[in-house]
Amino acid sequence: MVDPIFDYQFRLILIGDSTVGKSSLLKYFTEGKFAELSDPTVGVDFFARIIEVQDGTRIKLQLWDTAGQERFRSITKSYYRNSVGALLVYDVCNRSSFEHIPLWMMEAKRHIEPHRPVFALVGCKIDLVGTDNKNGARREVSCEEARMFAEENGLHHVETSAKTGLNVEEAFVLVAQEVYNRIQTGEYKVEDGWDGIKTGFNRPNGMDFNLLEAETVQSTCC
Amino acid sequence: MPSSDSEDFESADEGSPETDKKVRKKRTSSSHYSDSNSQETNTGDKVTAKDNSQKVNVEPNVEAKTDGWDDFDIDCPVENEKLTKVKETKKLTKEADKPQSTGWDDFDDWGNDDATATTAVTTEKTQTDKSAADIKELTDRLASATSKNSGWGWGWGVDSLLSTASAGITTLTSQVSQGISTVLETGIGAPDPEELARINAKTTENTEQKSSSEHKSIEPSVVQEKEQTSPNEGSFPFGSLFSGVTKFVETTGTKVIAGGLDTLETIGKKTMEVLQDGDPGLAKKRAMLGLDPGEKPVLSQILREAKAKADEEDKIREEKREAKEVHYENLFDDFEGLVHLEALEMLSKQVNMRIEERLRAAEPEKKQDIKETMQQVVELCEIPEDEEDDDEAPEHQSKPDALHDRLQTATQDLGLKLQFQPIVKQYTDVLAWLSSNSNLNEKAVYKRAVSSLAQATALAVEIYHKTAEMLLVKTRRSTADEADAMTQMTVVLTKHVGELATLFTANMNSIETDNKDQVNTYITNIFLESGNSSTYIQNAFQLTLPILQIGAV
Repeated sequence: MVDPIFDYQFRLILIGDSTVGKSSLLKYFTEGKFAELSDPTVGVDFFARIIEVQDGTRIKLQLWDTAGQERFRSITKSYYRNSVGALLVYDVCNRSSFEHIPLWMMEAKRHIEPHRPVFALVGCKIDLVGTDNKNGARREVSCEEARMFAEENGLHHVETSAKTGLNVEEAFVLVAQEVYNRIQTGEYKVEDGWDGIKTGFNRPNGMDFNLLEAETVQSTCC
Repeated sequence: MPSSDSEDFESADEGSPETDKKVRKKRTSSSHYSDSNSQETNTGDKVTAKDNSQKVNVEPNVEAKTDGWDDFDIDCPVENEKLTKVKETKKLTKEADKPQSTGWDDFDDWGNDDATATTAVTTEKTQTDKSAADIKELTDRLASATSKNSGWGWGWGVDSLLSTASAGITTLTSQVSQGISTVLETGIGAPDPEELARINAKTTENTEQKSSSEHKSIEPSVVQEKEQTSPNEGSFPFGSLFSGVTKFVETTGTKVIAGGLDTLETIGKKTMEVLQDGDPGLAKKRAMLGLDPGEKPVLSQILREAKAKADEEDKIREEKREAKEVHYENLFDDFEGLVHLEALEMLSKQVNMRIEERLRAAEPEKKQDIKETMQQVVELCEIPEDEEDDDEAPEHQSKPDALHDRLQTATQDLGLKLQFQPIVKQYTDVLAWLSSNSNLNEKAVYKRAVSSLAQATALAVEIYHKTAEMLLVKTRRSTADEADAMTQMTVVLTKHVGELATLFTANMNSIETDNKDQVNTYITNIFLESGNSSTYIQNAFQLTLPILQIGAV
């Protein structure tokens, strides 16, 4: 069970073609495990994990793992609305999964409107690169072109491996930090009727003592 | 003043009271202090009288108590100072956050005296700002009773803070040895010494000599209270004052005496005032600098209290956390029941919108058909009245397996491959937990009961959500079968959470405990949460309705 003490809950959605590794990415991120085989996702599955952003604020990430299969497309689009962040996931060894990224991004923008989510471009299965065509796997999407696409569209880009764990954590922290930064600047706020960002259970604080101290210092000047 | 003057102390005390009386009468005219006068025994210029009396009072008071003035040095000043200090300290503690000026309002227990003192202080301070020329004039003014205040005020204004600080240290140190409680008790009676002093003053005859010696007596008291005070007095314009007093004695007789007394009063008043008024800031400063050993007991007590308070808050927080651990909705959320329900609701709304679109687009007569079909689906989905078909598990079958079979049987007409393993496994775990833990206390059972109900319900809601998703992507729909299957599944799931509740309450009842009321409360809550579970399951079922309906229209 998830530790109940957190300051915010962000809802992030993972989208991308089927079999690019969305569920594996989430499984590694939340459970630290990697499964060679897994059933295709039906509709949407849920994962959750609490992380800390730079100032120590605890964020519960509620992760919506959508089915990539075409037949669930009509269903999954119902789930976009309440997301504050979207991870656009492709397989670095699958060219077409990268070429579909613009479509996924448009789809997400359209359904999340009027909210403007934080996007991240996440390449998966980086561990397969250089394995000599073992499963016909060869890098089909260069890091440079992905990075270029990301820069053109104002996205963060990261290449990951759910098998080795490379950059998995970073991919999610990146998005969470960006969402948190936008909360700090006032661009995002908690809104009724929108579940992209919710406040969590407050942590115990020591404010009383701080106030007392400040007061004492202040009064010495009189 | 030199400490050697202390020898004259006795006589000074005796003489001073009378002088006081006279001075007061003279000063009655000063309007500033009129309010306080009424309360005073003497209606005279009570400011000075007050100040003086407070200071002087200490001595008479002590005298009354101890008889022997020899002891005075040791006890009286210290004690009196102590009282003041204690008062202040208490005040400080309570009102540390308040500004000094407002702080005075709270000194009601001190009576008008305090207020008067404050006023006097203010006046004096204002005058303190005056130029050196004024200071000269001040000496002259000593001749008249009224002017003295300002003269003294000037001297005190400079050093008052330091003297107060040192005084506080000594006083508080002595406090420590005596014990806080005693001090506090004595502190309450602080005003009394003043009264006593006044009475003394009335009854005792005084002479000019005595009055002059009285000046000196004040010094001893101050010196006794704190050795550090002496530097202050050095800078103090005592010399000029004394010369002025002498001059007055020669020239104006009683006026001079009055002046001397006023001086004394001023000193006393100043002392009291500084101790009381200046203290809030100083106490904090002292505390900050760690100079005040006397403050430490109080400070530590404050800290202790703060710690106790913090502990209490921690405890409450822990209890809340504990409460959250057995809070059904939170657990339901943690088991992802809520988010499945929410996702199901999104689907449901989406499908409803599609149905309405179809209705709008349909021909009028077709519309009626659609509505009727939808109504038929609703009727198909009505949960049958509790027909107690004894679906007891066969002997050879375990309860979890029986649950799995019932779910499979109920949903076989859906034509979907649904995953019931999670809810079956959870049931297995619950049964294992209940049978393997025989010496459980009621609280543990309760927690597990609520958690298990929340988890089973979350898993049930997930089944509805997944079923809805799969129905929506199903190519060939058979709405009647689906509706029937979903209804049966709902019955099975609802019974399942009821069964869970029964298992836990039965276990709870078997616990031997002294706290039967608590057990009964727990049992009631378990049944309430089981009802809650049924409600969630019913809601999930209702949300699935449009998904069934759209297959038919």
